[in-house]
Amino acid sequence: MEVDREDGRTQNQLRPLACSRNVLHRAHGSASWYQGDTKVLAAVYGPKAGARKNENPEKACIEVIWKPKTGQTGKLEKEYEMILKRTLQSICILTVNPNTTTSIIIQVVNDDGALLPCAINAACVALVDAGIPMKHLAVAICCCVAKSGYVIMDPTKLEEQKMKSFAYLVFPNSVHSVLPEGSVQGEPMEHGIVTSVTHVDDYFYCLERGCAASAKLSDFLRRSLQRHPTDSSKAG
Amino acid sequence: MEGRLANAWRLTANDKSFIRTALLSEIRIDGRKPYEYRKIVVKFGREDGSSEVQLGQTRVMGIVTAQLVQPYRDRPKEGILSIFTEVSPMADPSFEPGHPGELAVELGRIIDRGLRYFCYLLKDLIEAEVCQLYSSNPLSFLFPRMYRAYSVESKAVDTESLCVLAGKFVWAIRIDLHILDNGGNLVDAANIAALAALLTFRRPECSLGGEDGQEVIVHPPEIREPLPLIVHHLPIAITFGFFSNDSILVIDPTHNEEAVMGGRMTTTVNANGDICAIQKAGGEGVPQRVIMQCLQLATAKAAGITKQIKEALYDILWYHLLRETTLETGELKCTTQKEL
Repeated sequence: MEVDREDGRTQNQLRPLACSRNVLHRAHGSASWYQGDTKVLAAVYGPKAGARKNENPEKACIEVIWKPKTGQTGKLEKEYEMILKRTLQSICILTVNPNTTTSIIIQVVNDDGALLPCAINAACVALVDAGIPMKHLAVAICCCVAKSGYVIMDPTKLEEQKMKSFAYLVFPNSVHSVLPEGSVQGEPMEHGIVTSVTHVDDYFYCLERGCAASAKLSDFLRRSLQRHPTDSSKAG
Repeated sequence: MEGRLANAWRLTANDKSFIRTALLSEIRIDGRKPYEYRKIVVKFGREDGSSEVQLGQTRVMGIVTAQLVQPYRDRPKEGILSIFTEVSPMADPSFEPGHPGELAVELGRIIDRGLRYFCYLLKDLIEAEVCQLYSSNPLSFLFPRMYRAYSVESKAVDTESLCVLAGKFVWAIRIDLHILDNGGNLVDAANIAALAALLTFRRPECSLGGEDGQEVIVHPPEIREPLPLIVHHLPIAITFGFFSNDSILVIDPTHNEEAVMGGRMTTTVNANGDICAIQKAGGEGVPQRVIMQCLQLATAKAAGITKQIKEALYDILWYHLLRETTLETGELKCTTQKEL
């Protein structure tokens, strides 16, 4: 069913994306990710010596610090930190640098809907910029389900407030084989945190839509990362 | 804890002696002369009251928000201006998340002081008398904060215009400064970010209504145009670094120079030549003539920086003006901004 969105997009259309790498000078890796008016800045420091308390010293440890635009950090920020930490732990190779800590700091520059997926994308690019070993990259997308049952992708803040439920989905980026033959078309595993979806059918529908959109995001990510030449190390 | 300390960035002895030796020939490691400022870039966000300033490699973001609150008991007719400085671990690997360090607190206080008070150097007789009582040092009259209880306050941001209903409702303006990248001289960059954000911020218009005229109605921006803040003057902070060999003075130190320098001083002046605040917290001593030299240099620089901020502001105000022009009739429906 066709639905009119305020900014004129179709149901599955994403907002204009912009991504820059290496925007900060002191951080080992940094990235900014813009999705429409939602802007997030991510910085990575690491690997640093020593694991945090209560963390397994045989593996690398990931620490996430979320800085909101205004106000003090509260429970919502802690929740975002936890979700980001779990997501990034599943994509980084933790056995390469045991007993080290990698800190990821997220700064919200502007929040206009789909904040957490934007932050996950920014964190991913910042990790690439810092040279942290990862299994694959992750792309995150937000789907919302309205009361009448239609699903829209990448909502703005106003749209988010009117929706019945939403889902943040994180997919591994699509695999492009280096060899010309044998392009791998495996099942894309979905391993992000899904929140507050009310009906099972809606969830599977969101998943389908999310997969399709993640392909577009993966392409964008690959293009923007290939654009930048590799820079010299800043760990010194 | 040990893990963090082990990762603190340290400058090598070779680097330090190189910086010092180069300064003897009046060369700085980034190619500037001793009294040269780095390039300042001021950018604004989409909504009112957000700015981002880049001073060389230092990057600071300023956000201004407003809320209706009850005023303080001893100042029932004045609004409240509060500054929150977030020294994010993003800026420097040695900054710890959670509790703000000394640097963050000092940074916040310097900017707060510059925006709130300043004393007229030659005019205020009450202050001069109090100074005589407290100290015999001729330079003590330059420190306004100690005597704020007695001084005539002439503020940069007009807080009396923020009063809606005396004793009940006033606007509380909150400035959040996020330090994103520490390339040295955070105070100056944060100060410019705060000023830029304040100049583009507009608060909603509100009027008194209700049965007894005691209720405050806040008008949404679609109905009534929001109003800009009244800013009397722009206090610009200029930081100096002192090096012990041959009492060398530099303006706008980078973070490499900050690790080497013996002392620092921040003077907050405006383009009219008034001194708003001076901060020299510890470090090596400097003779008085050097301080007077610094003040003269600062006044000269402040004029240039004020001009740059205003130029950046004209561009963004033009954008706002164009945004508010109705397309059908082409007439402007916004009121003109206060002449800066």
